[in-house]
Amino acid sequence: MEKFKTTADLETFRRKITSVRPAPKISITISVNSSCCILRGSKTVAAAFKDELESQGLNGKIEVLHTGCLGFCEIEPVVIIQPANILYGKVSRKDVKEIVARTVKNGEVLERLLYKDPVSGEKIRGKGNIPFYQKQMRHILGRNEVIDPRSIDDYIKAGGYSALTRTLDGIAPTELVNMIKESGLRGRGGGGFPVGLKWISCRDAPCDDGIRYVICNADEGDPGAYMDRSILEGNPHSVIEGMIIASFGIGAGEGWVYVRAEYPLAVEHLNIALSQALNYGLLGENILGSGHSFSINVARGAGAFVCGESTALMASLEGKVGRPRSKYVHTVEKGLFDRPSSLNNVETFANVSLILEKGVEGYREIGTEGSKGTKIFSLVGKINNTGLVEVPMGITLREIIYDIGGGIPGGKRFKAVQTGGPSGGCIPERLLDLSVDFDALKEAGSIMGSGGMIVMDEDTCMVDVARYFMNFLKGESCGKCVPCREGTRRMSEILERICLGGGEMEDLEVLEDVCEYLPDTALCALGATAANPVLSTLKYFRNEYTEHIKQKFCRAGVCKTLFRYEIDKDLCTGCTLCSMQCPVNAISGERKKAHIISADVCSRCGICYESCRFGAVKIIQTGAAV
Amino acid sequence: MAVKARPSGSVMVVGAGIAGIQSALDLANSGFKVYLVEHSPSIGGTMTQLDKTFPTNDCAMCIVSPKLVECSRHHNIEVLTYSDVKEVSGEAGNFSITVNKKARSIDPDKCTGCGTCMMTCPVTNRLQIQEIFEEDAIEEIEETERIINQYGGKRQSLITILQDVNEKFGYLPEGALRSISTHLELPLAEVYGTVCFYKAFSLEPVGKHLIKVCMGTACHVRGAGRILEELERYLGIPSGQTTEDRLFTLDTVNCLGACALGPIVSVDGDFHGNMSLLRTAKLVDEYAKRK
Repeated sequence: MEKFKTTADLETFRRKITSVRPAPKISITISVNSSCCILRGSKTVAAAFKDELESQGLNGKIEVLHTGCLGFCEIEPVVIIQPANILYGKVSRKDVKEIVARTVKNGEVLERLLYKDPVSGEKIRGKGNIPFYQKQMRHILGRNEVIDPRSIDDYIKAGGYSALTRTLDGIAPTELVNMIKESGLRGRGGGGFPVGLKWISCRDAPCDDGIRYVICNADEGDPGAYMDRSILEGNPHSVIEGMIIASFGIGAGEGWVYVRAEYPLAVEHLNIALSQALNYGLLGENILGSGHSFSINVARGAGAFVCGESTALMASLEGKVGRPRSKYVHTVEKGLFDRPSSLNNVETFANVSLILEKGVEGYREIGTEGSKGTKIFSLVGKINNTGLVEVPMGITLREIIYDIGGGIPGGKRFKAVQTGGPSGGCIPERLLDLSVDFDALKEAGSIMGSGGMIVMDEDTCMVDVARYFMNFLKGESCGKCVPCREGTRRMSEILERICLGGGEMEDLEVLEDVCEYLPDTALCALGATAANPVLSTLKYFRNEYTEHIKQKFCRAGVCKTLFRYEIDKDLCTGCTLCSMQCPVNAISGERKKAHIISADVCSRCGICYESCRFGAVKIIQTGAAV
Repeated sequence: MAVKARPSGSVMVVGAGIAGIQSALDLANSGFKVYLVEHSPSIGGTMTQLDKTFPTNDCAMCIVSPKLVECSRHHNIEVLTYSDVKEVSGEAGNFSITVNKKARSIDPDKCTGCGTCMMTCPVTNRLQIQEIFEEDAIEEIEETERIINQYGGKRQSLITILQDVNEKFGYLPEGALRSISTHLELPLAEVYGTVCFYKAFSLEPVGKHLIKVCMGTACHVRGAGRILEELERYLGIPSGQTTEDRLFTLDTVNCLGACALGPIVSVDGDFHGNMSLLRTAKLVDEYAKRK
């Protein structure tokens, strides 16, 4: 393939491939190229399809598309058959023969593979009719569905890089950065800083040798968030396109993607995409004849949460220990190698081409006054429809959790939703009608963060959640500043003590004290927001703290020393399942008669509670720490 | 002990760290002539190498540097650097001490400490300790050097080099770290510090199978902690350690990013989703059989 020399070359090529590759009569879309799908066996399904189509002599007559993540992780691997618009979920290797024989050849619908709505119990046929997708606005993730992430041609065919050609053809760099500013796009990594302003300051920052950097933050460290991984795995070119446009606006010649090493598939797809873009002349010297040159390097992270912070990330890129520095000189002025650097998140870059395609006005129509556009959330935890959801800013939490997420599984009661990772907070049921945008979430004591949304039900202990986050932050604090290093450690100790049953009421005051000082004194955002998980749980779930301290009881059955298991005699059928599974032989009883748990022997591992099919194992208050 | 002889009026302080310097200054200010002997070429000791001091987090250099200047200017203090005490004779109040002053090869009266000679010297950062390596370390070093060359031996490639070496051997052998330190012209302490900072690096060899339990929030609320406890119980080792037969290493990871399928356990890079307590032991047995 020859390099495109001008923007016109690229547009000619786009027309050529769209006409040469018309939509075939039947196409099968399989979500293969994503870590979660592979985990669910998508590769074997894809291989089975290949074999089956070959043996049926259908090779070449049917287009098979291996896409990245389709978002609905609960029912992966997903197979979509067009134009009949049939979506099959949880497809296994064994189903393939039947799908090809009946659906592909004869157009029959296999009822058993259709998606079953957990609320109504109805079987639903097409993707558009599934409630999970109905309320979403999939501007960014939607493109995953028509693209094989390993093919740049697919991306171009789907309209990719048209925002780039439009930019290079007729938009001046100053005009471009002003457009981004006007669009109201705010950083999707967590801080929510206006992207346009950042680009303008980076562009205007004085620089002796004229070298500026565009950096993509793909160090998605927030536990519970994986939208950046999904974009990089499913549509890496959208990020590359955003970065090239940014570099044009800022006047940067070099770019970096700092990606987590825990995401090997994302790194692989990114590298493939970069070499394809380079081959097509979309990266390198004199891009499409515009005179603008830009190259992108990939750096793998080495497993440090704090490296998601801008100055720490840049230190890490320089090969140093990833410790943040105080930001009296901003990174847009002196960042990587002391040169002006603009750091944006993966999702932010994916939004850039969308703004250019829709136009500033079109983009501003989505979202609320202060937060424009859509946001991707990873809806996980105790929820029926786990997956990645892309919603317009301003939607309520209730809509996300109940309409899109399908509610809480197993008839359990909703307790809280946690947003923003370790820097965020827990939002209780009474605030579910809160509209989701940067400012409203902050007011509620949480943050938007990078988009993790972890749903918790009655089996989740909120003190334990606070302890979990504090433990996480304690381990990830880089240790440079005292407030964060010592503050997180002390809070973790106190929370650990409360969870073990040794807490005092004064502990809560100490916690509140530390929480008050931390945000004002910590060096970087990790420490400044470290109080949020504790503050929000103390604010909304204080009763759980007092219950742990005064009654020595963890009603969720999580804090092991603060409860015991007991078998309800009336519900136990004597099936012996629990006694067979118990690793410490604490359960005794005859067949078909009620069993008994010996509290002295029981290690409270929870196997019996988990395995009992009749709900006979109960959590009982002991009144004192065991 | 009664001191009979008349005190001589001069004192020798051996070792010019922060304690030695402060003692010398206090004595000198009280009117004693002080000889401050230091083994290394300059006074200051360890404190000059520290960033901050415990527990106040004060800047170490800010405390020590005025004292260094005072020491060198004090009329009552004679600083003997790059010198060793060879022999002490006599008794308290009247000692005779032999000090061996090593060759500096630079005239201290003329040297202003401008640093130009250091900058122009072609030989930098040579390890001063004779290194003795085991036979099998040679392969490690050769492999490490190959990786270093691949990245052009640049300082900014340190983390990438460490990642590749870690991937190659499953951990970072000592010889490899020393080799990186020499080739990148970085102090070994800095290389070591970087290794300790990042979670992806290991200084110990891992077992045949590496089990990682995802501790992400989504996995946590779905019971990842219990899965970890069950694995610890079944393998008989705490997290972060390797079984005696070197078959399994158990570790945790912050988030594998497959949150919809939690709790997740990864064994040798293969993900196992929706783990339950019942499946945990079976999973270990399955890998144990693979040998």
